[in-house]
Amino acid sequence: MNLGITLAYLVYLGLPLVLLAIGSFGKVWSNTLLPTGLTLDWYGQLAHDGSFRRAFLVSLEVVVATCLLCAAVGLPVAYALHRGAARGVQLLARIVSLLPVAVPPLVLGFGFILVFSSDALPWLGSLGLLIAGHTVLVLPYLLQTLTSDMRLLRLDAQELAAESLGADFWHRFIDVVVPSMRHSLLSGLIMAAALSIGEFQLSNLIAGFLARPYPVVLLQAFYGATGFACAATVVLLALALLAAASGALTAGAAAATGGGRAAGLPG
Amino acid sequence: MTIELQDVSFTYPGSQAGVERVSLRLGAGELVVVIGPSGCGKSTLLGLIAGFLKPAEGRILIDGDDVTDLPPRQRQLGVVFQSYALFPHMAVWENVAYPLKVRGFGKAERKRQAEDVLNRVGLAGLAERSPASLSGGQQQRVALARALAFVPKALLLDEPLSALDAALRAGMRDEIRRLQRLQNLPTLHITHDQEEALSMADRVAVMQQGRIVQVGTPQALYDAPLTREIAEFVGHANLWDGTVSGPDTVRTALGELRTLPHGQPQGAPVQLLVRPERVALGRDANGVNSFACRMLRDRFAGPVRRYDVEVTGGILLGETGEREPFAAVHIPPAHIHLLPQTRTIPESASTRVERGGTP
Repeated sequence: MNLGITLAYLVYLGLPLVLLAIGSFGKVWSNTLLPTGLTLDWYGQLAHDGSFRRAFLVSLEVVVATCLLCAAVGLPVAYALHRGAARGVQLLARIVSLLPVAVPPLVLGFGFILVFSSDALPWLGSLGLLIAGHTVLVLPYLLQTLTSDMRLLRLDAQELAAESLGADFWHRFIDVVVPSMRHSLLSGLIMAAALSIGEFQLSNLIAGFLARPYPVVLLQAFYGATGFACAATVVLLALALLAAASGALTAGAAAATGGGRAAGLPG
Repeated sequence: MTIELQDVSFTYPGSQAGVERVSLRLGAGELVVVIGPSGCGKSTLLGLIAGFLKPAEGRILIDGDDVTDLPPRQRQLGVVFQSYALFPHMAVWENVAYPLKVRGFGKAERKRQAEDVLNRVGLAGLAERSPASLSGGQQQRVALARALAFVPKALLLDEPLSALDAALRAGMRDEIRRLQRLQNLPTLHITHDQEEALSMADRVAVMQQGRIVQVGTPQALYDAPLTREIAEFVGHANLWDGTVSGPDTVRTALGELRTLPHGQPQGAPVQLLVRPERVALGRDANGVNSFACRMLRDRFAGPVRRYDVEVTGGILLGETGEREPFAAVHIPPAHIHLLPQTRTIPESASTRVERGGTP
């Protein structure tokens, strides 16, 4: 019975993806179960389409910038949360950092539209605002990964040890915290990249015409030929799968080395 | 090099746990072991000396200088944690050399000194390994080497042997003793294992509920504990309540026991302690403190035989190397110890015993 449910679920998930892949190679697809003919034309068209190429690059720029910002902001904030002072401060910081998850991206988007279309802050449609929006949306997930890993790695014992050996804050951060966190930082960033690549709701609302990321432009494809839309979606799917796979591999490596290497296991 | 705590108090926020008015002095080259049940405050004590915790009252002095407000990284104390807290991403030599790195030593010099210390702790040749690839005992030595690498003013060891199995523990006790003596370091060693405490220490401090209840040499602690709890915590004990019936006799549930002249007034309530290994087999030549007995439990423990016998009025715990059966036991008067009168822990027990030994 469990096997049956699992299979049904996999079919439910997999069927649209499989059909997309098939559709991207099909010549004509109208009202039949499967498309007819075999062609690579759709991919060819995609490669030559200016707006798609630009969107692909914009997406890459946004993803890279978002990851850098998240790392720069995320690691110190996670460290502060982990080594936080009073319980109250920690709780407050936790709530604030998780707020973007609770608030739907749509709401965030409307908020941006209101605030940034004024004369004082005319940034709506800019690449910078898009990156800022992605960072806000993605940061909580990175923070969760980092703080839970800090706890798991028993970083406080190592920090106390480093302190007793004479290390000041920067030495502790650079010699103990950062190296211990590099695996979880990497897997957290890959997850951040995957989230950013697929982000649609906020991007659709605030992206300017020349700075549209891939998912926004993809929407346009569905007003055209089915085959073209399938091909365009498959590209996004491939990117997302690539991100997910890298994330899984890195997280696996982190678990194998980080968890087992926590010092002090009796031998 | 000396460490001193003067009337130090600390309470964890939101709880009753902590330490209360603790005073202790570690002299040059002295190994003081702090023992006590879980939650008695011994790790808190170490945290206060190391600087991880800030006392609410009192002062902490290192070599006579007040370091109460000094952060841990400036106190120059070598700390070994229960979990060792080795840095997993650094090789063994890098772990050991870390205190030298933060003090600005060059790489070649750091490595040389680290390997030197590793030799001293018996880990020659393991410098390039990663901590995860070492056994528990080896990791423990790395932690020790790291704490010794920068020639600290004192060593603080927080239950360093509790994660090791029994066979390793005995060897490591000797190792710690040897290294500590070699560098003449005042050392504070926390443990809950009383055999560890008695075998390693120059002096033992017993803690209960945040207070030091007795400090003394292992022999003094074992032969003359101040309270019933201490008597039962350090070794096995026969303990009876009694009433003084003469200058050298006490009436107990077992009958009238002959002791050495005890100086207590007639009719005074007392507590008597007799260590099991002091119970002798057979009757005394003059019948003093002799009992016919019936074996209740006979436990062979290798070098000793631990037994419980029933006598008129109670049960006696004994320990002997003899294997033959016996029908009587006696207690030599010299080995009956009277515990001090007070049943509660006096306010200033720690300061009082610090100054002059047992009151």
